[in-house]
Amino acid sequence: MPDLFSCLMKEEWRMHSTMFGSISFALFPVMIFGIVFMGSFLLPLLSVAFPAGDLVFLAHASFLLLGFMVGGFGLLGNEMMNRRFGQASLLVYSSRSLPLSERFIFTNFVVKDIVYYFFLWVLPFGGGYIAASPFLGVPLSRALLLLLTLSLSFLLGLCVVFLLSSLYVRSKAACLLIVIFLGIAGGVYTIWSGTNPTLLFPPYLLYSAFSWMMFLGTTIAVVTMFLASVVLFSPEGTGLSRTYRRRLGRLARVLSFLPESPIVAKDFLDLSRSGIGIGQALFSFVLPLVVIWFFLSLLRSSFPPNGLVVIFSLTAGIIASTIYTWVTEFDSFGPYSCLPVAVSTLIAGKMTTFLFLQVLPAVFIGTVAGISAGPEMIAPAIVLCLSISIYAAAVMAFLCGLSPSVLVYDVRVLLTYLVLDGVALVLFAAVSFASSLYAFLSVFLLFPAYLLFRAAGARWDARDPAGI
Amino acid sequence: MAAVIETKGLSKVYGDVTALDSVSLSVEKGTLFGLLGPNGSGKTTMIKVLTGQIRPTGGFATVLGLDAEKEGIRVREKVGIIPEQESPPSFLTAMEYLEFVGAVRKIPDIGERAEKWFELLEFGDKKDVLCKDLSRGTRQKLMFAQAFIHEPVLALIDEPLINLDPVMQDVVKEFLSDYVRKGNTIFVSTHILEVAEEICSRFAILHKGKLLHAGSVADVTAGGGHLPGFFLSLVRKGGHA
Repeated sequence: MPDLFSCLMKEEWRMHSTMFGSISFALFPVMIFGIVFMGSFLLPLLSVAFPAGDLVFLAHASFLLLGFMVGGFGLLGNEMMNRRFGQASLLVYSSRSLPLSERFIFTNFVVKDIVYYFFLWVLPFGGGYIAASPFLGVPLSRALLLLLTLSLSFLLGLCVVFLLSSLYVRSKAACLLIVIFLGIAGGVYTIWSGTNPTLLFPPYLLYSAFSWMMFLGTTIAVVTMFLASVVLFSPEGTGLSRTYRRRLGRLARVLSFLPESPIVAKDFLDLSRSGIGIGQALFSFVLPLVVIWFFLSLLRSSFPPNGLVVIFSLTAGIIASTIYTWVTEFDSFGPYSCLPVAVSTLIAGKMTTFLFLQVLPAVFIGTVAGISAGPEMIAPAIVLCLSISIYAAAVMAFLCGLSPSVLVYDVRVLLTYLVLDGVALVLFAAVSFASSLYAFLSVFLLFPAYLLFRAAGARWDARDPAGI
Repeated sequence: MAAVIETKGLSKVYGDVTALDSVSLSVEKGTLFGLLGPNGSGKTTMIKVLTGQIRPTGGFATVLGLDAEKEGIRVREKVGIIPEQESPPSFLTAMEYLEFVGAVRKIPDIGERAEKWFELLEFGDKKDVLCKDLSRGTRQKLMFAQAFIHEPVLALIDEPLINLDPVMQDVVKEFLSDYVRKGNTIFVSTHILEVAEEICSRFAILHKGKLLHAGSVADVTAGGGHLPGFFLSLVRKGGHA
């Protein structure tokens, strides 16, 4: 196990570092550390608007989300990885050439993900706060406890996704039933007790009032989910020759009003046949947003009237923008390089598919806004969410072209992305807080979005495409 | 005869690696031209530069009279390409992939043309199977079909026989020879020298990005010589140069 584990670690490092240089990638955790260290000095100012407890709460929610995201990407299948990284022979798919069982490799893979992303994200974040704590008068024990509970939040998110996806592969119905059951149980508990169930989130409780019993209970929950996901793990089927009804031609004809109709039709077939469409919608969109909603709703008192819906719409917009990564995960430029297709055409096709899929966040945010804030908030929430989503996706297309889920680990790319999105988020949060009608002003984001999208085509056409 | 491919001082550098080093080459219409070379000699890079997939760092190339660097899309409209690694999209069926190629290339009667290729390469039973579930050999047949389905006047093909069984290799060799006899041009990159000797009329040898030789196969075989021997002596000499 140690040999395979260390090879998997090296492989993950090389996969990232070869794309944008070892130094640039090595700076990523340093940057996280620096941002948190400097950001910690703003805490006394922030605590005027936000109680410190709320910020801690948000930090735990963010790390739970990070766990969801890392788990979701790590479980993309062999085909996805090959298309994304070229004809990569990743160790995780080596059971056919090495005398190792798929379950053994999967176990190592999960442990590798935990350790690797702990050092990449969690430790630098916690370390930044620990380093700043003496200057802020925060006891070191509290800073260390935060690192522990954030790590547990990350692990819970990761193991929940691994468990649900192991279940999903074995039985989609069982997985769906469990998610529905958990949703109903949370709803019933909220109505019955009048308490938000996220207040029972163990890492947050641990940070608020540490007890060894709760720590033990949380650790057992993480380990149990990890073991259950390994036991339930079922490798993806290979060598099957199932036949499919021809749908591309008909779909392309239906979409023929679009300039890139064959590419868009192909994207829809990719999403539907790979199962990624449903899987991503569930694990990378609905599930994180439901969790975020419960967490954010606890902060309702810190926001102005309708402020919760505004913040949730903006958050949903950013998460909805990652739909661009779903549609680019299927392929690199490689398969198109033998055809008269430019990178800009492919980006335009992917962006068109992305725009179609914005129906999902529109319906989701409309429903949430309608239920929680009344019908008058439906339109502002949808406009705010979609404007931010389209703008953030255009930023992604400009900065990363067809490789957003890979280039995000380039420090320069991530910083630029955070600044460009951050400015828009702060601006439209502020104006929408003043009046929900001002949320409609966010449509003006579509202009820079369009310009960024055009510039993305020119920028990536001028470079040798990756993946060929 | 008119040159369909012309390169002058063509170079491509990736970081510290010089993949192509000032290559000047001319390929005339109606030839089956073999680009030979050991692994890593720059053959695949040459095809990528010629088809506008990547940009040269020096020199220039014209393909069918078009500037390969500035008019890459137009070059790819006119030519057929089989890339080094077969890569039809995973979640389309074989038939859908050819329909996709037809839609991108705006070929009206794609269904009929596709059927002819399924018949010629004997994989009609796989037309509704997802590309990811096809064997390597069948994927190669599919890539072969997509390269020729629009009947290009010039095809640039990288290791076209790899993964094919001997029977299918024979079918493909026959097809290539026929295709050239009809006045078309084929630029084939390979390191299977026996095949090159059998089907090519002209050839060039690349080694470490440099052009070592360009000439006619008949000149080499005239005195009872063989292409493999000629190639090995030249590459070994070049390797020590």
